[in-house]
Amino acid sequence: MPASAMPLPTMTHSSAFLLPASSSSAPRADDAAASTTYALVVLNQRLPRFAPLLWAQARLRLCADGGANRVFDGMPELLPAEDPDEVRARYKPDVIKGDMDSIRPEVKEYYSNLGANIVDESHDQDTTDLHKCISYITRNLPGTENSNLCILVVGALGGRFDHEMGNINVLYRFSNIRIVLLSDDCSIILLPKTHTHEIHIERSVEGPHCGLIPIGAPSTSTTTTGLRWNLANTSMSYGGLVSTSNIVEEDIVTVTSDSDLIWTISLRH
Amino acid sequence: MAPAPPLPTMRHSSAFLNPSSPAPPDDACATLALVVLNQRLPRFAPLLWSRAAVRVCADGGANRVFDGMPELLPGQDPGEVRARYKPDVIKGDMDSIRPEVKEYYSNLGTKIVDESHDQDTTDLHKCVAFITQNPPVPDKSNQLCILVLGALGGRFDHEMGNINVLHLFPNIKIVLLSDDCLIFLLPRTHRHEIHIERSIEGPHCGLIPIGTPSTSTTTTGLRWNLYNASMSYGGLISTSNVLEEDKVTVTSDSDLIWTASLRD
Repeated sequence: MPASAMPLPTMTHSSAFLLPASSSSAPRADDAAASTTYALVVLNQRLPRFAPLLWAQARLRLCADGGANRVFDGMPELLPAEDPDEVRARYKPDVIKGDMDSIRPEVKEYYSNLGANIVDESHDQDTTDLHKCISYITRNLPGTENSNLCILVVGALGGRFDHEMGNINVLYRFSNIRIVLLSDDCSIILLPKTHTHEIHIERSVEGPHCGLIPIGAPSTSTTTTGLRWNLANTSMSYGGLVSTSNIVEEDIVTVTSDSDLIWTISLRH
Repeated sequence: MAPAPPLPTMRHSSAFLNPSSPAPPDDACATLALVVLNQRLPRFAPLLWSRAAVRVCADGGANRVFDGMPELLPGQDPGEVRARYKPDVIKGDMDSIRPEVKEYYSNLGTKIVDESHDQDTTDLHKCVAFITQNPPVPDKSNQLCILVLGALGGRFDHEMGNINVLHLFPNIKIVLLSDDCLIFLLPRTHRHEIHIERSIEGPHCGLIPIGTPSTSTTTTGLRWNLYNASMSYGGLISTSNVLEEDKVTVTSDSDLIWTASLRD
């Protein structure tokens, strides 16, 4: 009889970055969140409503090409009570990266004059804009180990389907880095098969709908706790069962699988 | 070793999106069915509606038709537009459709099919099953093409569940459409010829191995063609490719999702 396999290490996940900033400077109760370094990447789609909240928590803010237009136009729209010019000057990206075929010339000039680092990548057609941004962040946020780094991405979902799928592939290609793709409707993360996952649910901002998606390869055996329809050594595959429209029942969801899975949860409006 | 027999060819065309194409546009898609899910209508919704032999709304999709058709046809009287764009069937668990919308269409003769008892399949799955069980033109059911609006974007689990419907019904041509793009399944059982409507689609396209890696995929007609190339999540997937010719061919050992962008 074979010896039982070593238990997988546990990886915890938290969406504390979606909680409204407290008015005081009291430290967050969630220690994990307090030690996390956030970076923000803005791709070329309409900003979600919580973009200013994410921006405030990020140590490094990158726009991929046309994402700079979205910040320039969108931040004043999301903060209508404030003077647009002050908002624009305050929400200045640290870096604008990509092939520069979408950014408006006046937007590029505006941010360049304010000191944003403009990095032209038009020579590199082999990787997506998101891939380039993730690579840049890993090389340019010194002192952070991957386990403390969490890269938040807005604008990666919806729009052109090939873009969306290419962006999800970036999660697989950088599977050792926490990357969260966010839209107004939902968030998604990769759950690598190398770990057992504890997903801490922030009930005030996320849920109730969730799903587990074997987008890259079938899963022979996935087991969960904390969902309305839990899986128990269940197979999942395209052409078979894919867990969608599931419901979060508890504050912690656990997932163990023999295959990399995409976890998705709806965001409350 | 004897060579494997050649795969049968499956032809695909998006002529249904070309306003200049005569209707019915194409033998391969002689009969169109339209399914409307619960997202904002794309701009070409009236065109597809007019070409469809049957129109099915999934639950809140009925709200989208009720609100959206008059918006897409602003030069016309809203009351007349609503009466004209009347779904044949509204199906689903009825938790999204507004009561006044349900009543309006019911009074006009739309068949309302309440499926709130069935939580195991998605709304799209129910609609596809309904259409295949009730083919609009029974003797042409092998030329049926189901066009779906509102399946992409929004909640990601919904989108992924909708794509799984393509895998669950590989023998039926189902096209998911948005303002930005279209997608359909290329089953590995066939060699595929995709006829490109250059005035409507492109230039961008992609081939996505959703669900299973591909060991060997070969294409023609793209800027970056594949030659017995492997594709997988974590490795190469073909995105931001570009259409070069009017016909694209694809052969693969794995089911692939084809996607093409739509011109504004």
